[in-house]
Amino acid sequence: MSEVRAGHLIAWVALGALFAILLVHMRMAEANLGHASLLSGYLLYALLVALACFNVRKRLAMVPLGRASIWTAAHVFGGMFGIALYWLHTRSLWPSGLYEQGLAAIVYVVTATGVLGYVIQRVVPRRLTQTGVEVIYERIPDEIARLREEAERVVVECTRELQSDTLARYYFETFAWYFERPRFVASHLFGSQHGLHWVRQQRLTVSRYLEPRELEYLDALTELGYTKTRVDVHYSLQSAMKKWLLLHVPLSAALLGMATWHLLLVHVYAL
Amino acid sequence: MATVAMMARPQRWDAPFSPDMTDADIEDVLRQPAFSEIDAEKFPEHTPLTEILRNDTRIMPYQSGDIIVRSGDYGNSAFLVLDGKVRVVIAPELPRDLLGRQSVHKKGFLEALGQLWTNRRVPEVRDVRRYDRTALRGGRDQASSVVFLQDVPAVLDRRETALLKGGELFGELAALGRVPRTATVFAETDARLLEIRWQGLRDIRRYGESFRRRVDERYRENALKVALRETPEFGELDEAALQEISVNVLFETHGTFDWHISYQKLRGAGQEAHEPVIARQGDYPDGVLMVRAGFARVSVKLGNGERTLTYLGVGDSFAMSELYDSWAQGAVQPLRASLTAIGYVDLIRVPAPVLEKYVFPTIALRPRAPVEAAATRTLADDALLEWAVSERFINGTQAMLIDLDRCVRCDDCVRACSATHGGNPRFVRHGRTFDHWMIANACMHCADPVCMIGCPTGAIHRSEQGGMVVINDDTCIGCGTCANSCPYNNIRLVEIRDETGNILLDRDTQRPINKATKCDLCISNPGGPACVRACPHDALRRVAFHDDAVFRGSEP
Repeated sequence: MSEVRAGHLIAWVALGALFAILLVHMRMAEANLGHASLLSGYLLYALLVALACFNVRKRLAMVPLGRASIWTAAHVFGGMFGIALYWLHTRSLWPSGLYEQGLAAIVYVVTATGVLGYVIQRVVPRRLTQTGVEVIYERIPDEIARLREEAERVVVECTRELQSDTLARYYFETFAWYFERPRFVASHLFGSQHGLHWVRQQRLTVSRYLEPRELEYLDALTELGYTKTRVDVHYSLQSAMKKWLLLHVPLSAALLGMATWHLLLVHVYAL
Repeated sequence: MATVAMMARPQRWDAPFSPDMTDADIEDVLRQPAFSEIDAEKFPEHTPLTEILRNDTRIMPYQSGDIIVRSGDYGNSAFLVLDGKVRVVIAPELPRDLLGRQSVHKKGFLEALGQLWTNRRVPEVRDVRRYDRTALRGGRDQASSVVFLQDVPAVLDRRETALLKGGELFGELAALGRVPRTATVFAETDARLLEIRWQGLRDIRRYGESFRRRVDERYRENALKVALRETPEFGELDEAALQEISVNVLFETHGTFDWHISYQKLRGAGQEAHEPVIARQGDYPDGVLMVRAGFARVSVKLGNGERTLTYLGVGDSFAMSELYDSWAQGAVQPLRASLTAIGYVDLIRVPAPVLEKYVFPTIALRPRAPVEAAATRTLADDALLEWAVSERFINGTQAMLIDLDRCVRCDDCVRACSATHGGNPRFVRHGRTFDHWMIANACMHCADPVCMIGCPTGAIHRSEQGGMVVINDDTCIGCGTCANSCPYNNIRLVEIRDETGNILLDRDTQRPINKATKCDLCISNPGGPACVRACPHDALRRVAFHDDAVFRGSEP
């Protein structure tokens, strides 16, 4: 068993044991007519704060606060434990009060976005590697512009050398649209081959009107189209890897705020 | 119809070391004892001694206190004292700050945390007052800028030094062997020195028998026995055996000392660099080849190409198993693999009779040949090794290896680097890829740091702690020599700003002041490289390529 797997197993066992202890404690507290939810509530709040600290740690990269990968693992385990703790705390999947329902909704959405982010981060990197190109996200517009210029150069050269504007006209009717900006973004997200198919289809459509020497230029143009498709895949998948956080982080902040307000209300009115 | 244009074919000496060498200078040099004994007739017509002196040497004037070479520097020149007095510092060594080196101040936790608010909104801000305290003389070009000692008598009083007078040669072992200089040398009085660049030095050594004897003798006296003792095969031998072996070994150099220049050009053009063959598969070996400096590739013929079995670095040897088998079986065994120079390699050849007399009788286990180790591996197993060797990443001791199957492209590593380096990252998360591995454009802290060759002030140097290659910002003059030399494009020149955020301009030229920057492995920050710590998925690691795990397809 690898060191990482052993660590994960230990974490699951420890969290399971903690959950069992809490369950027993709450049963005993209820039997003694005490505030059974108090400990689970405070633990849940402390866990939320700890989970939020992951974001703070990212900003404190200059000091040795442990490896971020350990923080990530702790964040994932903590998040999963948090939802179990939430059910233990509320004793239901959907509470009855309006504010509590709002709180429950945001707990579920934050958890769901977290799980979504985890899945994206596990799946997407391999798909990016399989494209065979590597592009920094911020450089994608430059890369597309470079491909567009190259494609236009091929078309202009074809027209000038062969005195035929068939390919050029077709380029401006179809390929120009493709080279303008990332295309088929949603399709790429779900692993569709739509982009490759589109380029192949354009090649087939126009090839019958071209003479052999023009076909050489079309081949070069098609190859640029395929490269553009790979860059589009990067755009689509890297966008997903960045943008899920735009949901998860603000919602987490909202959850922390609502949980704090809930804590205050409980202390003022319920205890 | 194709047209042609005419040009003169580039020649070796199109760009002489200095355009100022006159006939009188050459005659003066030829009168020096180191050269007067050389038989100029032995030099080929296309490389006469006088032309070597005219094109591969230059006369350098030094003022009292000027540091000529520093202990630990890599250099590509040897020096001959023409006149004046020059001192070699024996012990104790000069403090690092006097040598223009950086004294690393390791930040504490709170000081490191303080960067959160001390980092400026604009990058590359410097406290320019500290540059005034640096003892630098000369301009911003390589030839005229030196670090100097401000109090020579004090240095002489407190340290043991050796005097070098007119006619004495130094620095040739480091220049030919591509090893760090072992001592600091400075001008005690105003002095004139002949600086001989390595190309000229190599040819003078090759054709000038007396010069070669002199250089080889110095190496045998000073370094050979130590080098032999560090190898497992020779380490157990007694002094007498080592003495006899050291008398019999031969020295060889293959490839080009400044391989990085041609390599950069070929790499830019997407071509494979040429690797000179040292020993060919099927030939009969006449001695063991031991690597003194540089790297060599061990390969076997496969189809239309060569399959890399392994590569050799400093201290590794080649052909030991074939020679052992020849000795044990009484029949000569041919080489099972070829050896080629990766860029540049400096070798010691230990003749077979010496091995049979002293070494083989003491070996308990038959040495294993790389070809035998490769028998159980497939081409796919070794593909990463093949790639790393052809890209010359084997030079790296701290290469930034990113597993693209784990990397979520979040750039937390880049932000962490930026946060620890005043707001500007010291690497680019981009680089050569193979399968799901990427070697990012971050300084690899090379075993053979060609970037250090030619730094006029010694600003780029190996740190005392850990041996990583670092740049002293105080003494860097922004000449770009290191950045141009780095074969992997991992050094960048940045325009610096004063504390108010203004770009600093040179008073004379009105051009921005540049400084060379690169990864320093967060030498001054607690906790090691911030990039590694910041990776949330353990995708980024710093690796030494001599570690077999990197190559065997296992998780590095």
